Amino acid sequence: MTDYGHDLLFGAFITPAARPPTHAVELAVAAERAGLDLVTFQDHPYQPAFLDTWTLLSYVAARTERVRLSGNVINLPLRHPAVLARAAASLDLLSGGRFELGLGAGGFWDAIEAMGGRRLTPGQSVEALGEAIGIIRELWDTEKRGGARFDGEYYSLKGAKRGPAPAHGIGIWVGAYGPRMLRLTGRMADGWVPSLPYLSGGPANLAEMNRRIDEGAASAGRDPSAVRRLLNISGQFQPSRGSLLVGPPRQWAEELAEISLEHGVSGFILMADDAAPIELFASEVAPATRELVAAGRAR
Amino acid sequence: MGYGHRLEFGITIPPVLPEGAAAFARRAEELGYDVVTFRDAPGRSLDAWTLASWVAGRTDRVRVGAHVPCATPAVLARAAASLDLLSGGRLELGLGAGEEAAALGEAIDIIRGLLDAGERGPLRFEGEHYRVRGARRGPAPERYVPVHVEAHDPPMLRLAGRKADGWVATLGRIKAGGIRAANGLLDETAREAGRDPREIRRLLNISGRFSGERGGFLDGPPGAWVEDLLPLVIEEGVGTLVLATDGAEGMERFAREVVPALREAAGRELAGAPSGPAVRPAWVRARRQPGIDYGRIPASLGENAVEPGDPAYARVRSTYLRGGAPGLVLRAGSPEQVAEALAFARSHPEVPLGIRSGGHGISGRSTNRGGIVIDLSKMDGIEVLDEASRRVRLGPGARWMDVAAALAPYGWGLSSGDYGGVGVGGLATAGGIGWLARKRGLTIDRLRAVEMVLADGSVVRAGGEENPDLFWAVRGAGANFGIVTSFEFEAYEVGEVGWGQFLVDASDTAGLLRRWGAAVEVAPRDLTSFIILGAQRPGRPAVAQVFAVVDSDRPEVVAGQLEPVARAAPVYDQSAVITPYASVMANAQGSYHEARGEPVARSGLIRHITPRFAAAAEMLLRSGAAYFFQIRSVGGAVSDVAPEATAYAGRSANFHVAAFGASPERLDAAWDAMRTHFEGTYLSFETDRRPERLREAFPPGVLERLRELKGRYDPENVFRDNFNIPPAERRQG
Repeated sequence: MTDYGHDLLFGAFITPAARPPTHAVELAVAAERAGLDLVTFQDHPYQPAFLDTWTLLSYVAARTERVRLSGNVINLPLRHPAVLARAAASLDLLSGGRFELGLGAGGFWDAIEAMGGRRLTPGQSVEALGEAIGIIRELWDTEKRGGARFDGEYYSLKGAKRGPAPAHGIGIWVGAYGPRMLRLTGRMADGWVPSLPYLSGGPANLAEMNRRIDEGAASAGRDPSAVRRLLNISGQFQPSRGSLLVGPPRQWAEELAEISLEHGVSGFILMADDAAPIELFASEVAPATRELVAAGRAR
Repeated sequence: MGYGHRLEFGITIPPVLPEGAAAFARRAEELGYDVVTFRDAPGRSLDAWTLASWVAGRTDRVRVGAHVPCATPAVLARAAASLDLLSGGRLELGLGAGEEAAALGEAIDIIRGLLDAGERGPLRFEGEHYRVRGARRGPAPERYVPVHVEAHDPPMLRLAGRKADGWVATLGRIKAGGIRAANGLLDETAREAGRDPREIRRLLNISGRFSGERGGFLDGPPGAWVEDLLPLVIEEGVGTLVLATDGAEGMERFAREVVPALREAAGRELAGAPSGPAVRPAWVRARRQPGIDYGRIPASLGENAVEPGDPAYARVRSTYLRGGAPGLVLRAGSPEQVAEALAFARSHPEVPLGIRSGGHGISGRSTNRGGIVIDLSKMDGIEVLDEASRRVRLGPGARWMDVAAALAPYGWGLSSGDYGGVGVGGLATAGGIGWLARKRGLTIDRLRAVEMVLADGSVVRAGGEENPDLFWAVRGAGANFGIVTSFEFEAYEVGEVGWGQFLVDASDTAGLLRRWGAAVEVAPRDLTSFIILGAQRPGRPAVAQVFAVVDSDRPEVVAGQLEPVARAAPVYDQSAVITPYASVMANAQGSYHEARGEPVARSGLIRHITPRFAAAAEMLLRSGAAYFFQIRSVGGAVSDVAPEATAYAGRSANFHVAAFGASPERLDAAWDAMRTHFEGTYLSFETDRRPERLREAFPPGVLERLRELKGRYDPENVFRDNFNIPPAERRQG
């Protein structure tokens, strides 16, 4: 059993489709009404079929009251970390501390370059992400005196004004798969948010990936529990039992509880673009999973 | 001097108080401010874009002016389109603070290029400062997003003159006396770039102090403010005054005590000056169609008019089944605006005119090439007039799925067609063969009165008592007589209904059609059923979809009535549920149509599905000439209405038959052989324009009366784009 000691979160991963423009907003509101903890949107600024994720997050924050929001994950190569820091803090202040910063190193380099972004190798992009996290944390730190300075390979700050400070300690959640990114996540991030469909070996892959994060954390003198483990999932509700996450809500709850107890995952984010599965996930899967995990942790 | 813009007022929201920003903006909205603006300031203030997006989510009407730095123009373009879409077309994009003119010019080109989603092909831009290498365009914003450029020095002013939709300056950084020189430079560079200086709105940021006695410029009682500001409006052409204030009090006093007086004074002074809508940008005007006098679009329609260069054009050019390229779409919001749009269209007798409600017309063209479209989608009201008599009023632009949803809480319904995306206007002037047809008749059978705009621009009511001739004609041939701006219906009680969907074996197509038709004819009137087949391909199993609604919420009744219909052929898949009528109708997505090309559809009414007809239908499907073939049951209550009661005359038919094909020649070759079986036609599904179709849709007496009435109500044949009935020649003397 692995337990990093976090309460369970249940969220939705909603496609930020540009048409009709209110669809994503309505789903986010439905997710909140259904009782989910978290609403997230992927961020692909080169994709014109999508709304700009930052704008959508800000707009949805204004249309909701309780639910927490995050990019899943924000595309760093097309968004400058200094701008992101201020924007994230602003959104956190406006929303009353409901924002978390999911961050990714980028991957579709042709499209990123077409938009005017800088092409990086995978290795460079990991380094750039590390610098960005440093810059973001520096700018949020309004306790420090003087302008923020940062002299990196990819980004620099020359005495930038600090602030605003966010309303709560915004979690920086990293979408990571490769060994370098996982170690970086362990060293610097507050959360890890991979997608189950991308794991070739299914949930079993989580063990090895967790180990790299834990090593990264240890190398930086951090406790592994400093990094919350979340997981984007997809599946299908149906009356009869089927393969992983294809079946009735009870089957889902059992499988998610097992993933949670086995790999310490404490956040499940459902990829869904309809209100019906979101409602089922919130009303049936989430409470049953919580119960099973609580019972399993107590053992 | 003036630039022909409406005088507007704005307020700058201080970016420091997160909890107060939305309340501040909402109050500004209540006070009637036209725009709230946000600007980035370093350090502890809030990020302007985030704040603007947040405020857009908390307001409904006020426009949002976001003044932001431009790090990655392509990303900003997508963000701008997104905020404009989410806010319902309320974004003004402000750029320029802290930027260098040359770089900003490139950024604006990139932003405009990506927002121009109507342009095909990706954007490539190789500049000194920015490069874009094949980025896909879009999303298309809701409206044209104006780009306002802040400029206080000659290089930025020249850039604004060349490229901006608005020039923003801050009083203090520019002296009141310096505005004239700046305007001169703007106007000159605009003209050099082939633009009209009126394309550029002049916005001025102001601040001041309300006090009992005049202390200086914008320092004193409201009257003094009016005195100070009036010359800027009248003489310097400032179109927007944006007040920067820290407190709510300044915002309140400015709105209550300065704005009304200033508007009145400016209105008086500007009474003789040319007014009218702001000029469209040069790059939009360049795409205008010859033959349309865009300069004379009525002011009330100008703001919502869509031209080929506008961002909304991609959304309105085509309809559900037909590609189009109209020169102008006039979106009318009231009967008066319909009349104005019609008068404008009539002053262009040479160009085509289409009338659009939901954009699903097949016979009703509702788009065209190079012509004018009067779009009624804004007139989408659904209103209960009297609960006791179940009287409801519907706008022509409402969609039937929305009507069904709005009537559901009362336990009422109105049978329309089979698709929820269809608009009220086109269907309710033609017939309406829907899911409750056999029980409740055609949609027009529940119509009690209409209000409509006639060809001469007059607005009339027609019903059983008033203009009964016209009311008769509207129910079946309405598109020929005017533009109905509201429909009064008597709804009936509809609760949950049985809804069956069956996928059946159609290898014996003729037998299936015969058995299905026979089962439907003897079924109780609760049941209405439609059958759909596609082209049959060798080697693939032939299937048909059978749909049926049973107007009952009792499972045994529903099952009992569905069973004989489903038994017409072996069933591959089935579903039967008891569900609200409104959910049967909730089968359409958004109203954005992107069809290309021209539909080819043929239509007929038939009394019985005879063996000979069924065999002919099988031949048609085997030939591949039709890719979609549908039979809808009518009869029942539809046949209770006397044929002379409405212009829709096909009362004896038990079935309506429609086919869609790719080639008119091939479809006609097959269809003309079937015509002997038909007793008339339902015009809505007919794209053939040969005169015989007219005689099929309307028996001789009906056609004669329609032509007579057409001669009376539309002698010049203005309404000719939907199954045209030529007006009778007027008798001499």
